[in-house]
Amino acid sequence: MTEHHDIRVLLPQRYPLLLVDRVLELVPGESIVTIKAVTGTEPCFEGIPDGAPADRYDYPKSLMIESFGQSAALLWLDGREPVEDDDSTLMFIGARDYRFTGAARPGDVLRHEVRLESVLADTAFATGRTWVGDRLIATVTTLTATRRPVRPAA
Amino acid sequence: MTQTDTQLEELRELVAEVLELEPEELEDNGDFIDDYEADSLRAIEILARIDKQYKVEIPQAELPELRTLKAVNDALIRHSVKKG
Repeated sequence: MTEHHDIRVLLPQRYPLLLVDRVLELVPGESIVTIKAVTGTEPCFEGIPDGAPADRYDYPKSLMIESFGQSAALLWLDGREPVEDDDSTLMFIGARDYRFTGAARPGDVLRHEVRLESVLADTAFATGRTWVGDRLIATVTTLTATRRPVRPAA
Repeated sequence: MTQTDTQLEELRELVAEVLELEPEELEDNGDFIDDYEADSLRAIEILARIDKQYKVEIPQAELPELRTLKAVNDALIRHSVKKG
């Protein structure tokens, strides 16, 4: 189990965009299971007027993808030695066949199950699912991320 | 249809999906970059898909040459033979 303070060492994101709370399971180089709790105090719910319909509190799909992507990044980064003067950054490239089959609302806990399919030319391909309890709320066939220098070579 | 033809059509579907084309739009000698607006990441994704589907690793060093369906198919045949 990897707690939140360890995640902050591995991922560069910070509030309000650090979207992984805890790692439940990790098989290095193969798979990871993470959780992210959704609360009513998330910035994305700020300003919703009283009396708004329930679905206004659906956790945004964009943030769900970001949370899944950060989980994939944790899997990819696991076991890598930190590189001195590393000026590269992980970048989300895209996702193919990302399907949403349900929604998460305040009080729900997202559980991401991510499998690393391959890493080729510093580009990672992952697949997986997101659950709330026993409800499957999203599947992704391929999520692609890459590592690129922050500053292009002169 | 020979086994070679079948593999080419399978590969056409695989590559067309990555390039977000219909299979019939992807010509054997159409250039991924000039004709279908692909970038290097698409080429890497094609190699990753081939690895997954055929369990054949095409070396990254060959990426610059893999700009057409025919070139990808030739590389797949070449490395399948090496694999035995």
